[in-house]
Amino acid sequence: MKPVKLNVINLEKSEYTGGKSSLCPGCGHDQISNVIIQAAWENGIEPEGIAKMSGIGCSSKTPAYFLSKSHGFNTVHGRMPSVTTGANMVNKSLSFLAVSGDGDTASIGIGQFIHAIRRNLDMVYIIENNGVYGLTKGQYSATVEKGSKKKKGSVNEQAPIDLCAMAVNLGCTFVARSFSGSKKQLTALVKAAMSHRGMAVIDVISPCVTFANNDESYRSYNYVKGNDEVLHILDYIPHFSPLEEVDVPEGEYSEISLFDGSTLRLETVGEEHDPTDAVAALRAIHEGTAEGSHVTGLLYYNPNQPTATDELGLTETPLMALSEEQNRPSKESLEMVNAGFRAK
Amino acid sequence: MSRIINDFTINVATANGTGSQSSNLIILHSMFEMGVPVSGKNLFPSNISGLPTWFIIRVSDKGYQAPGDDTNLQILMNKETWEKDLASLNPGTVVIYNEDAKMPADRDDCICLGMPMTKMARGINPKLARLMANMYYVGGLAHLLGIDEDAIEKCVEQQFRGKEKAIELNIRAISEGRAYAAENWDFDCHFDLEAREKSSDTFLIEGNEAIGLGSIYGGINMLSWYPITPSSSLAESIISWIPKLKEGEDGGVTCAVVQAEDELAAAGMVLGAGWAGGRGMTCTSGPGISLMSEFIGLFYFSEVPGVIWDINRTGPSTGLPTRTQQGDLSMCYEASHGDTQHIVLIPGTVDECFEFGWRSFDYAERFQTLVFGFGDLDLGMNRWSTSGFEYPSEKMDRGKVIRTQDELDAMANFGRYRDVDGDGIAYRTLPGSGLAPILYRGTGHDEDGIYSEDPQVYQATMERLRRKIDGARDVLPAPLLREEPDGDVGIIFYGSMENSIVEIDDILEQSGLSVSTCRVRALPYHSDLEGFIERHERVVVLEINRDGQLYGILRKELPVHLLPKMHSVAYSDGLPPRAREYAERILRVLEGVE
Repeated sequence: MKPVKLNVINLEKSEYTGGKSSLCPGCGHDQISNVIIQAAWENGIEPEGIAKMSGIGCSSKTPAYFLSKSHGFNTVHGRMPSVTTGANMVNKSLSFLAVSGDGDTASIGIGQFIHAIRRNLDMVYIIENNGVYGLTKGQYSATVEKGSKKKKGSVNEQAPIDLCAMAVNLGCTFVARSFSGSKKQLTALVKAAMSHRGMAVIDVISPCVTFANNDESYRSYNYVKGNDEVLHILDYIPHFSPLEEVDVPEGEYSEISLFDGSTLRLETVGEEHDPTDAVAALRAIHEGTAEGSHVTGLLYYNPNQPTATDELGLTETPLMALSEEQNRPSKESLEMVNAGFRAK
Repeated sequence: MSRIINDFTINVATANGTGSQSSNLIILHSMFEMGVPVSGKNLFPSNISGLPTWFIIRVSDKGYQAPGDDTNLQILMNKETWEKDLASLNPGTVVIYNEDAKMPADRDDCICLGMPMTKMARGINPKLARLMANMYYVGGLAHLLGIDEDAIEKCVEQQFRGKEKAIELNIRAISEGRAYAAENWDFDCHFDLEAREKSSDTFLIEGNEAIGLGSIYGGINMLSWYPITPSSSLAESIISWIPKLKEGEDGGVTCAVVQAEDELAAAGMVLGAGWAGGRGMTCTSGPGISLMSEFIGLFYFSEVPGVIWDINRTGPSTGLPTRTQQGDLSMCYEASHGDTQHIVLIPGTVDECFEFGWRSFDYAERFQTLVFGFGDLDLGMNRWSTSGFEYPSEKMDRGKVIRTQDELDAMANFGRYRDVDGDGIAYRTLPGSGLAPILYRGTGHDEDGIYSEDPQVYQATMERLRRKIDGARDVLPAPLLREEPDGDVGIIFYGSMENSIVEIDDILEQSGLSVSTCRVRALPYHSDLEGFIERHERVVVLEINRDGQLYGILRKELPVHLLPKMHSVAYSDGLPPRAREYAERILRVLEGVE
C-alpha cells in the first residue's frame, strides 16, 4: 500500500477537496479549483480557518468544489466584497479566500471591488476571467479585449477594463495575473497570496470552453498559450521549509518576503521586473495590451500596509467571540449616561 | 383678554444656516428647565444654507406633543416666507419680527411687535450679526412669556459649552432683546408660562440617539452605514459613544465602524457580520432600503441575523428628504423579490427607541433573520422627553448556535436548515469553528444546505420560513392598549403617531365618541391585536402615509370576519401629524360608515 502523503499539519489532501464540479468539462475554472486545493494543502493551512467567499456566476459556484471543511458564502452578484468586509470586521482571525468572475467583478461589482482594495481588505481575491457571461449563455463581459471574438457573434469593439491595471492604480497591495493552464505559476501565486496580509488580487485568464475557446478569442487556450508574456519564473518557498535547503537557480533572481515568513522567488526571464514599482507594472500591462499579449506573473507588491481592521483600533479578541460581559456595557455605565443627560 | 397658561404654539420662521437652531433649542430647553411640558419640531429644508426653516414649539400642560394646529406666537426672521407666513396667521396672533428685514408687518388684526435685531446684533459683533440676530427674538419671547433668566443662561451655557466668548455674547444679546421688548413693546401678553415642578430625572433626547445608545447596550459589534438624511445622526451617535462605552479590556474597541461605499455594501457588511457570528447593524432611510432589497432577501432565505434601522422620510423617490412619513412600512415588511416577511420593530417613544435598539439584536439572532427597526424623521431627529433609559432586563439571546463538537455530537441528524425543535428555527454553526461547515447560498437548498431545485424541498423550506417568522408574533413587543370599557371606536396606530394620539383622542371624545387606542409595536402583528378589534364596533387604522400601509397588511392577514369593521385613515403631507387634521379625517370616515 502506498503511504498516504500528509502536509505539515498532518492532513491528507482529501481534507482540502470539495464536491463534484457541475461546470462544463474542460472548464478553466476547475483547474483553478485544483490549484486552490493544492496550494492550501501544501501551505498547511487549517481548512476551518478559511472562509470561502463568492458572488454569482460560473466562477462563484466553484467554492462548492474545493475546501469542503471550510465555511463559505455564495452571496449575491458582485457584492461578495461587502459580505467579506462585514465578516472580517467581527472575525479578523478568518482567512478569506474569494473567487469571482469578470462579470461579477468588472461590471456589477466593480464598485465593491474598488472599495475593498481601497480598504486593503485582508483577503485573497481570485478572478476567474474568461471574457464572457457563461451562465446566461455567452454574452461579452467588460474585460474582453478589443478585437477579440467569441465562438458565435461579432467581434468585440469596446475597450476592456483591465482589472490588474485598475488594482495597481488603486494601490492594491498584491496584484498578479496568471493563466488557468499555467499550473506551476498559478500555484506559486495563490500560495504567495495566502501568505500575504492585505488585499491580494489574482486575475486568472480562464478559457470558457463552451462560448469562447475559438482561436479568434484572446482568452482561448491556444491564444493564451501563444501570447503569454511571462514576467518571471516563480518559486514559492514556505516558511516551514528552510530557505537554504531549496535549490538556488542558475540565472538572476530576486526574492520577496511574505507576511507569514514565506518567500517568493522571482527568476528573471528576459528583462527584470521590479514588482515594487507600480509604474513598471502599469507599463508592462499596457505594452502587453498593445501587443495583444497577456503579461503574467506578480505585477505589483506593496507589503506592510494597514488592513481594513488595523485602523479601527479593535480589541484583540475577535468581536464575535466576546462574552456578554465584554460586549454589553455595564449597568453603572448606563446610570452615568442618564446622569450626564440629566446634568445638561 | 383672558390669560392662557402653558397652552400655545410658537412658530419660528428663519433661514437655514443662520444659527437659528441654537436659538430655538435655547427656547425649548429653557422652558423644559422650568418644568413646562414642551416639545419642538424642526421643519428644515434639504439644503446647507439659505432655504426656509420653521421651528414649532408646542407648550401644553396636557402634554400634547403634536404641532399645534394654529400658531399663537409667530417669529418672522426670513424675508423669503415672510408674506406667506404673515398672511396665514389667525387674528390675534402675536408676531415678533425683525424690523431690519424691511418687510411689512401690516396685519392690524394681529399684535405685531418689531425689534431692530440685526442692528442691535451688529452693535455686539458686526461679523456675527447675522447669527446673533436670532438671539434677540429669544430675548423678546422671554420677556413676553416670562421665561426664567437663570434657565436661559443655563441653556446657553449648555448650547455653547466650552466657548466662553460665545456664551457671553449670546447671553448679552438675549438680555438686550429682553430689555428692548420691556421698554418698547406696549403689550401685556396673554400667553403665559407658569413653572411646573420638574422631575430631576427627565431630559430631552432625539430618537436617533436613543436608538444609537440602545444598539450599544445591545452589544453591537459592527456598524456599517452610508450617510442619508434622516438617519445619519443615528450612526453618528453610535460613533460618538463607542470610545466611552465600547472599550475592551485591552483598550481596543468592541465595535467596528465602516462607512460604506453605498447602502448595498452597508447591507452586505451586516450580512457578513451576522453570518460570522457578530452583531451587525446599519441605519438608513427609504432610498437605502430600496437599494438593500436584494441582500434583504438573502438574509431571509439564507437565515442570517442582522439589524437595519429605517428612519423614514417622505417618499417616493428622493421625495421630501427632510420631511417625515410612515411610508416604508409595507416595503420593510415584505422587502425583496419572491415571498418574504421580515420582523419590524416600531418604537413610538424615545424609551422604546432605546429598548428596541438592544432587543433588535436578540430577535435577529433568535429568529436567524433580518430585523427592521422602523423610525421616522419626527421621532428620530426631534427631541423628546424621557426620565432615563432602563438597563436591558434580559440576558442577550444569541440564538441556536452550536459552538462545540460535543454539542454537535449530541444532536442526531444535524443539518443547517433542519427543523429539529419544530419551531422553524434550525441550528447554525459559525465560520472558523470547523463545525459542520456548509457553503451558505441564496440559491435553493435542502435541510443540509446543499444546492437543490427539488420542488418539494423548496416548498418545504418556504413553509418553514413562514412558520418561523409566524412564531415571532407573540414574542415581539405586544401592542399597547388604552381601552375604554364601553369604547365603540378603536384606533390602531403606530410609531411617532404616539405623539399626537392623546390630543386626537381628546378631540374625538369631545365630539361624543368613546375611543380606545391600540399602538402596534411590531410586525408580524401580535395576537392581542385581534382581540382589540373584536371588542370594538368600528376600527380605524391611522397612519402617516397615503395608502394605508398597515391597513393593507392587516387586511391581508386578519381573519375575514373582522374585515368589515376595519377602516383606513391615512394622510401624509410631509409634516408631523397635527391632531385636528387627523381627528377630522377620522370623523369624516366614521360619518361615512354610519
